[in-house]
Amino acid sequence: MHKIYDYLVIGAGPAGMAASIEASKAGLSVLVLDQAASAGGQIYRNLAQASDQQTKLLGPDYVAGKPLLARFMAANCDYQPLVQVWHIETHEHGFAVAAMLHGKSITFITSHLLLANGAMERPMAIAGWHKPGVMTAGAGQVLLKSSALLPKQVVLAGSGPLLLLLAQQYRAAGVTIMAFLDTTPGVNYWQAMPWLVAGLTTPKQLFKGLWLTLAQRIKGPYISGVSHLEVMGNEQVSGVRYTVAGRVYELECKLLMLHQGLVAETQMAQLLGCTQAWNETQQCWQTQADAAGQTSVSGVQVVGDAGHIGGADLAQLQGRVAGINRAKNASLTGSWLSNRVNLGLLFRLKHLRWARGLVDRLYRPAAWLFKPTGSTIVCRCEQVSAATISAIADGGCAGVNQLKRFTRAGMGACQGRQCGPNLAYLVAHAQQRSVSEVEPLSVRPPLSPISLGQLAKRPRL
Amino acid sequence: MTDSLFRHGLEDAPQCVLIVNGVEHQVPMQSSVAAALHYLGYLATRAHPVSGEPRAPFCHMGVCFECLVSIDGQPQQRACLTQVMPNMSIDQVGVGTY
Repeated sequence: MHKIYDYLVIGAGPAGMAASIEASKAGLSVLVLDQAASAGGQIYRNLAQASDQQTKLLGPDYVAGKPLLARFMAANCDYQPLVQVWHIETHEHGFAVAAMLHGKSITFITSHLLLANGAMERPMAIAGWHKPGVMTAGAGQVLLKSSALLPKQVVLAGSGPLLLLLAQQYRAAGVTIMAFLDTTPGVNYWQAMPWLVAGLTTPKQLFKGLWLTLAQRIKGPYISGVSHLEVMGNEQVSGVRYTVAGRVYELECKLLMLHQGLVAETQMAQLLGCTQAWNETQQCWQTQADAAGQTSVSGVQVVGDAGHIGGADLAQLQGRVAGINRAKNASLTGSWLSNRVNLGLLFRLKHLRWARGLVDRLYRPAAWLFKPTGSTIVCRCEQVSAATISAIADGGCAGVNQLKRFTRAGMGACQGRQCGPNLAYLVAHAQQRSVSEVEPLSVRPPLSPISLGQLAKRPRL
Repeated sequence: MTDSLFRHGLEDAPQCVLIVNGVEHQVPMQSSVAAALHYLGYLATRAHPVSGEPRAPFCHMGVCFECLVSIDGQPQQRACLTQVMPNMSIDQVGVGTY
C-alpha cells in the first residue's frame, strides 16, 4: 500500500522550500522531490556544501538563501533529492507521480500537487550555437556553484540580470572577460523608463541592478547595441561575429556564454492539462494561476519561476502563500490569524510582481533573435535547420505540432524544450500570425528519457 | 582532449581518480562529471547521432541532453546531473552517438 501524501512538491528551490515549510508546519504530510543532489534550486545550488571561498565569490544574494535552507532542512517533511519526474497522471486519491531514482522508477501518490520546478534559459538560436564552446550563462553559474570551475577567458553575450551577475562574479574570481556583448535593444531603455517608478519602490534591488550594469560599462570591454550574433568555427568555436550600428565585427574566442532571460518550465503543468497563457512581456507561455498558485486543474498549484518569472524573493514569497493556502484548504490551521498573515503576504506579492515590470521591459529580448535563418540549427536534438522549418511553415503547416511530424523538430531527448519557442516564432513569422496564436508543442510522457527495461520493471500501482 | 578552457577556482580541493575513456585522471572530488571533463580538457561529450558533429554540454542543468556519456557502464547518462565518485568510469566521451 502506497503512502498517500497531502502535498507533493516538485522542486526544492526557494518556492518549493517555502511552501513545504508552511504546509508541514500546519501538519500536512509533505514530500519534496528534487532533481539536484542538494536543496536550493538553481539560485541556491550547492549552498549547504559551498566553501567560504565559493560563497565569497558568489556574493550576498547567494548566501541570503541560508536561513531558508536551514528552515527547510529542519522542517518535518520528506525530502528526496536526485529524482527525475518523468510522468504525472491522475489517480483515485489524486495524482500519481512517477520518478526515476538510482535507475529505478518509483511512484508517489498525493492528493495535492505543487509544481515548483522553476525555469530554464530562453533558447538563443544563433548561427553555430550548437558548436562545442558555446554554453549558457546559467551553465557558467552552475559550473561555479557546484564544481567551483571557472573559465580562463570568456566572451559573454546577450541580455538580462543573470548575465550581468555572472560577469560580476567572474571578474571577482579573476576570470578574463574578453568582451561583454550586450544585445539589449536601445528602445528598451525608453520603454522601461516609466517603470522606474515601480523600480524605485524596491530601491535595494534597483540600485544593485544599476551598479551591475554600470560596473560592466566601467570595467569593460563592454559593447552595447549588439545584434546578429554568429558563432564562427568548424569543430568548435573559434570566434564570434556580431553587428553594431550596421557594421560587422569579429572577435576571436574559444568560449562563449549566452543569455537571453528565462522562460517558465511548463511541461508538467501542460501534461496535467493546466490552462496556459501567452505572456507578451516575458515572451513565453505560462501556466495560468491565482496569487496562491492555484491552476485551472483542481489540486494542482504552480509557484515561482515555473509559473511567472520573478526571481528568488518573489518565488519564496509565493511559495509561502501557496503552502499556507494549501494548509487552509485542508482545514488544519484556518484560524483568522493565518488569514491576516496571508493578506499581508498577498500585498507584498502583488507589489514585488509589479516592481518586476521594470526588469521585464528593460531586458525584453530583441526581435532579431526570434528569426533564425538558413542553416542555423533550431532543433539541436534532431539537427533541424531554420531553413527547413521556415519552408514547411511557408507551405501552410498548421502549427508546431504538425511541423514536428514533418521535420522531427521537437522529437529529440530534450522533448522540445530547446526548440519549442523558436519553432513557434518561425511559424508565426512565416504565416504572419501572432506567436500567441501558435499552440505550443504537445507534451507527452516520458518527460525525460526512460529505458524500456526500466519501464517494464515499474511496479504496478 | 585539448588544453582546458577552464581552471578550478579553489585551492587544496580534495581530489579523486576518474577514469575517462580508460585513462586514469585526478579530478576535484566536489564536481559534476561534466565539470570534471571540462577540467581535464574535454569540451565535446558526444558525437551527434544525425550529423556526427561533436557536441558539448550547453545548459549544465539537465535540459539539453548534449552531455550524454556512458557512466560506470550505463549508456546515455547526463554528465551534468551526475556527481563525481572515486574511481568512476566515464566512457564514450566525445565519440558516443547518443
